[in-house]
This record gives sequence, structure tokens and C-alpha cells, in this order.
Amino acid sequence: MEKDANNPFEPYMETLRQQLEDQDPVFLIGIIVALAVVVITLFLKYFLTSKTVCSAVLLVGLCDSGKTLLFSRLLSGNYKRTQTSITDSSAPYKAKNDKGSTWTLIDLPGHDSLRPQYLEKFKSAARAIVFVVDSAIFQKEVRDVAEFLYVLLTDTVICRNTPLLLVACNKQDITMAKSAKLIQQQLEKELNTLRVTRSAALSSQDGSVGGSLFLGKKGKDFEFSQLPMKVEFVECSARGSKGEDGAADTESLELSLAKL
Amino acid sequence: MLDFFTIFSKGGIVLWCFQGAGVTESFTGPVNALIRSVILQERSGNNSYTHEALSLKYKLDNEFELIFVVGFQKILTLTYVDKFIDDVQLHFRDRYKNELEQKGSLKLLNNSFEFGNEFKMLLREAEASGKAKSPAPMRSFKESEKSQKTVKSMIETKGGDKGKEQSGKKNKNTKKDEAAKGDQVKAPPTVQKVTVENGNQGLTADEIMLKKREEFFRKHMAAPPEKTSKSPKPQKPREKPRRVWDISGKSGKSTKTLDYSDSRNGEDSTNEGEPNQDGTLPESMPGELLPVECDSSDEDDIVEEEDGEVAVVGNTSSISSKKAGGFGGMFGMLKGLVGSKNLTQADMEPVLDKMRDHLIGTSSAKGSICDFILGEAEMYTFTALSVASTVKQALQDSLVQILQPKRRVDILRDVMDAQIQRRPFVITFCGVNGVGKSTNLAKISFWLIENGFTVLIAACDTFRAGAVEQLRTHQRRLNSLHPPEKHGGRPVVQLYEKGYGKDAAGIAMEAIAYARNQSFDVVLVDTAGRMQDNAPLMTALAKLIAVNMPDLVLFVGEALVGNEAVDQLVKFNQALADHSMSDKPRLIDGIVLTKFDTIDDKVGAAISMTYITGQPIVFVGTGQTYNDLRSLNARAVVSALMKA
Repeated sequence: MEKDANNPFEPYMETLRQQLEDQDPVFLIGIIVALAVVVITLFLKYFLTSKTVCSAVLLVGLCDSGKTLLFSRLLSGNYKRTQTSITDSSAPYKAKNDKGSTWTLIDLPGHDSLRPQYLEKFKSAARAIVFVVDSAIFQKEVRDVAEFLYVLLTDTVICRNTPLLLVACNKQDITMAKSAKLIQQQLEKELNTLRVTRSAALSSQDGSVGGSLFLGKKGKDFEFSQLPMKVEFVECSARGSKGEDGAADTESLELSLAKL
Repeated sequence: MLDFFTIFSKGGIVLWCFQGAGVTESFTGPVNALIRSVILQERSGNNSYTHEALSLKYKLDNEFELIFVVGFQKILTLTYVDKFIDDVQLHFRDRYKNELEQKGSLKLLNNSFEFGNEFKMLLREAEASGKAKSPAPMRSFKESEKSQKTVKSMIETKGGDKGKEQSGKKNKNTKKDEAAKGDQVKAPPTVQKVTVENGNQGLTADEIMLKKREEFFRKHMAAPPEKTSKSPKPQKPREKPRRVWDISGKSGKSTKTLDYSDSRNGEDSTNEGEPNQDGTLPESMPGELLPVECDSSDEDDIVEEEDGEVAVVGNTSSISSKKAGGFGGMFGMLKGLVGSKNLTQADMEPVLDKMRDHLIGTSSAKGSICDFILGEAEMYTFTALSVASTVKQALQDSLVQILQPKRRVDILRDVMDAQIQRRPFVITFCGVNGVGKSTNLAKISFWLIENGFTVLIAACDTFRAGAVEQLRTHQRRLNSLHPPEKHGGRPVVQLYEKGYGKDAAGIAMEAIAYARNQSFDVVLVDTAGRMQDNAPLMTALAKLIAVNMPDLVLFVGEALVGNEAVDQLVKFNQALADHSMSDKPRLIDGIVLTKFDTIDDKVGAAISMTYITGQPIVFVGTGQTYNDLRSLNARAVVSALMKA
């Protein structure tokens, strides 16, 4: 029976072999080289994209929320004086988990005029977004924080990739700092109102509508659990309770990052 | 002397800092203020900045992405600071070249940059050099060059001053300065003549003066040297020629007709094109209105004046053709520059000039744009072949950055806040005549009504004929579109007016009080249009705003305006700042850009306005019906602007 199965292929193989032998060897070599090039290209593309896509952790937040100091603490543990950033900084970060995976930690500037363009540049590569919030002056800034968070959550690229969203409530060493739970509640309330006003906002002059995505479920109050991406609230303090020389209080943040 | 000196990366990490003795305050605050106001707003015209009592100077290093900032007390005037920053920059770069060249910030974080000793040495040098420059002592006569010339050499002869060589003289002249410039003309070619040491002193003062006069006239004759006579006499005093003014030289008119000094005996002199001199009354204007007479030179495209202001006068077609040609030509030139590793400022100059012209063609204001273009040139060092795309990308990023609002712009949210606080949200519209204030006020009230708010319109334009009736008509239309039955029985729009001729600030105050009593959500205050040069009207506007403290002061500007926008905004802001009583005057908070549909891609006015005030464009008016209200999309505007 096997012989019968092989037989139909035999003549085809024979003809193929004969045809190959008839051809010019140079022509054959050309075909082989072309095939090799195509294969190698596909190989490289597969490898490279699988490395760069979604392998960055972005540090975003309003101006003066402590992103650059957090960046420094996570990478080297040192305390560094910082000023307002005007470009991004990036460095490879080694996670404190058993696997020892590394990814890139990118610190984006928080200033209002620079924020959108850097977000555009890096959002497609984000595997997790750490949203740093200044817990001490949160009450005054709640509307700005909510607006930035809204922009992040309704962005089409971010919705497609659904990276992990870690809201880091920074500056916990200050006595007036709000807890993570309180910040979560306030943000939910604010985003509840914001999604109504943003969807009613004017469309821009070339016809593209601003907030096309409606956050959460209509009819019910907004909650972070309604979102397609995972949102976690952690508390941390980049400065640390002991001032400049002490260690930073970023353990919960590092734990969450280790789970990536 | 210095209060502090910092070196930090553009990513925000401070690499090294120095704090002067006895200075306790942290410098983070002033440096952040410097970054936000100067570097981010691209106003890199001069590199110093004052913040309270401190004066800050900075320098950007674009290759390694570093910023050097020095701060000292404002009252001190330290002359060595500029050179000092340059020296520090060079030393720091040389010393830490390896660490700085790494990509990624790990090295920056892990290294501690020990720069203290070198810094102290450089500071000592700089301070020493600042002190060492004592004023140069005056030269004695013997040392000067004049004493070394002969009398004869100063009298010019026919072939006298051909030779410009001063070889013999140069050996003696150790100092080069302005005397040398004069000497080039007077320099005697006959070096081999024995110079009489004190030749001049033999002459009397009169003869010396005569000689000087001869030299002076010779210098200014600008005739070929052969022509000069032996002893040139001063020019004959000519009669002063009669001045002819170009403007008055209209065809047909001559000065004679304008000369009214002769007495006319009642005969009418009828010259063509001359205004009537018989006794017709000036008030009546029979028949059609005469058109405004324009000079023929207005047909040209862009007339550039001396002080750099560009007046865009004339046909848009000619402008667009010029723009299309210019930009394509510019990039063609850029493509020619291939392969240069690091472009310097000199290389960029022609490119930037062409870009400047292109932006002018799209009616941006020249002065404001050029500052930041040159700032952009500093911010980027070019390394590769695609110069054109790098420049274009850099410019695009910079323009988008300018157009991005620096604060949150969400009017509905703010109205909701005011609703919670049980007070009306007051928006005031101001601008020059005819930009579309009343029309856009109606559009905005339509939008607010659609979102469920109640609006009170305050007719504070008590001057223009028909202004109140116009607003009343809008009110009626809006009420018919949203009848009161659907909104809980009360009309959604109401008009508060007190007729014509009354004080606008008083009407506004009463309107706001009425709105508070009747719990209206929003009050829209319409003011009369006024030119920015009209001082009494600007005072009145400033008083209205200072007294009523509106939540939002919107400046309405039309997109066709061109360079005028800069002047308007500056003067409006100035008036508001001058006439307010408080320390923190209310300035313009936002811009409404109207008549956007009349320009296709000449969107430069948006850039000028945002750059001058730093305030965002809140609304864009794109037509004359209620629906034609949009928000600004920075990317779309910039891509329209950069379309080559």
C-alpha cells in the first residue's frame, strides 16, 4: 500500500528532477540566493519585532510628580537632584524576579507642551505604563491628572495593546499625602464627569472627532475595573523616608514590575 | 560672587552642581522656571533670564544634551560670566567625553562627576581676568603714529596716495586701531623719505587745520585717486534742490495746483483729478461711494520694510505662487547639501532664510517665527544625509509644540465646576472691529445650549448700530431651536441689554448679578470692537475686565490677519496689564480664531497668535452658521502649514 502512495509522486519527482538538471546552473544559483535572502529577511524581521515591540515601561505623569527621581532610584538606587526634563531618558532595567528579564525603562517629560509628542513616539512600544501622581498636591491637580489619564485610556494604540497601567502614588513621605485608595476614588469620580464632557467636545476642524471612545459602561458610574486593561494602584516614595541618603520606598512598585 | 552653577542633562538629571558660599535657598525653583519659560517656549533670543532677585544665564550643549546654568544676584554686573560658561562647557566636555557619549542614561546615573576642583580653578581665572582689565593708558604724542609722519606726506600730490603700503609705518605701529584706518588713506607711499620727527610742530594751527580739511575732503570725494587735484577746494555750496515727495506725485497733480497762496478771483480752476474747490458742502455724498484710492505699488506681493515688519498686502494668488516656488526650491537646495557631518550655523543660514520666506508667505508674523527658527537650529546638530527631512521634522515638532496648549482646555468641565459652586461662568469676548465676535458668541452659546447649559448674553456693545438687535435676533433663533418647553419651562438663552450709549462695565456687572440671581450657568459678554491704538477705548475695556473679573477672557482674531495679529495682541495685553489695579492682572486667557474657512493653507496666524501670548486657541470658527465651531488640531494645522 505504501508503494501505491509513493507511486503517484514518483513521476512528478522524476520530471522535477529532470527539469532542474536541464536548467542553467547559474539560473539555479540565482533562485537559491533569492530564496535565501527572503528567508533571512523574514527571520530577522520576526526576531527584531518580537524584541522591540512591547518591551518598554514608560514613566509618565504631570510635571513635578517625581518621574525622573523614580527613574534614577529604580535603576541605580541613588538619589540624584533633578530638574524639569525636556527630553526622554531611557535605560535597560533588570527586573527583580526569578527570570531576571530585562526591558527598557523610559522616562518621558511631563511638561504640557512636550507630553503629547513623546507619548506619540513611545506609546506603541509600551508594555506597561507607570503613571506617577504627586499624592501631596493631588487635590489641586485632580482635574489635570484626570485629563491626562483620560487621554491615555482613550488612545487607540494603547487600547489595542492593553498594557498594564500602574498608578504610582508618589511622594508618600510627605505627611499630607493622600492614600492610594482615596486617589482611586477621586479619579473615578472625575473620570465619570470627564467622559461626558469630552465626548461632547467640539470636533477638530478637519472633521476628526476627539473622544470617540466612551470609557467604561454607559449608565453606570465609571470604575477602573470596567476597563479592558489592568489598572493597579501602588504607593511609593522616590525620596524615601530618611531623606537623601536613605533608600527609596519603592518596594511595592518593584514587586508589581517584577510580575510583568 | 556666583550664587550657583548647575550642569544637568536634558533628561533632567543633575550631573554636578555648585552652590556659592552663604547661599541657602535651593536653586531648583529658579532653574525650573528658566526651563519652562525660556527653553520650552523657544525664546532663545538672548541667553539670560531674571527670576525674582536672581539673574540666570544658560548655555545649551546639543551634542551631549547638556544644559549649563549659572545664577547670580541681579544687582551685580559680572562681565566674565559668558566667557566663563563657555570655558566650563569645554572643560567638562573634554573631561567626561567618554561617559557622555554613551547612549542611555545609566552612565549618567551611576557616575558621580567630580568637577569641583577644575571649576574652582576656572572661576578663579575668570574672576582674575575680570579684574585685570584696567583702562588702557593714553598714548603720549611721541608714541602715536601722527608724530612719525612728515609734513610733506600729508600734503597730497598728484601721484601721492596711490600706494597703500605702510610697511615702514607698520613696524613702528604696534597698536592697531582707528587711527590705522585713517592712515590707509593718508599713508605716504614714499617710505624712504626721511621722516622729520616733529615735522608737524613747525606749522601753525591754521595750516594744520587746512591740511586736515584737505584730507577729509579727499577721503570723502570717492573719486579715483588720479583725479584729485593738488589742493582740493571745498565743494561749492550748491543750491538746495527742491524736494519731490513720491507720494504726492499723483498723475496730473503738480505743486502749482496745491499752491493756494495766490488769491483767486472767483474763477474755478478745473483741473482733472483735483478735489472741488467751489463751494459744495462736504457732508453730502451724492451717487455712488467713491472707491478708496490705492497706490499702484500695492499690487506687488510682499513689501518688506526696514524694521523687519512684513506687511502682507495684495493678491493671494501672487503670494501662493511665490510660496509654492520658494519652498520647493529650498528643499532642492537642501538636497544638494549631502554628506556634511555637522552643519554649522553658517550652513543653516540660507536654508533658514528660505524657510522664513515660506512662513511669511503663509502669513505668519516674521519677527516671532524667526526667533524660534534660529532656536531650533541651535537645538539640533545634523549628522546625516537627509538634511531636508531632519529640518522639516524639527520644524514640525517645534511648531506642534508651540500650538500645544500649556494648560488644560476644557470649557465644559469648568462650567460644570462653576455650576457646583453656584456661580455663573463668565466669558468675555474682545477684539478689533469686524473679526466676528457677535457671530462666534452666538455659535458658542448654541454649543453650550446643546450641552444643556443656560446662557445669558450681556450686550455690552453699546456703540455699534444694531448690535443689541443682532443679539436679540440670535436669542430668538436659539430659543426657537431649543424651545423652553423641552428645557424645563425656562428659556435657555436670555439677553441682558440696556440700550445704547451706556457704560459697558456697569452693564456687565449688572448682568452677572442678574445671572447669579436667576442661576444662569454661563454669561457671555459681548464688547464693542476697538482698535488696539485707541487708548480711551482700551482703558474702558481694561476697566470692564478688571472690575468684573471674568473667568475667561477670549481674544477674537481672524485668521486672515497676518502681521497685524502680533501688534493687536501685544497692545491688548499691555492695556489689560496697565489698567488693572491688582498685582496679578487678568490677561488674555485664550484665543478664538475666526474665518478659518476663508484661508486654505495660510494658517500662519494661528502660530503667531499662540507664540505671542503663550495662550491656547480655544475655538476655531469655520463658517457663518451655528454649527461652524471647531477645536484646534495642532498636527493638522502644522501639516497644512508645512505642505510644500
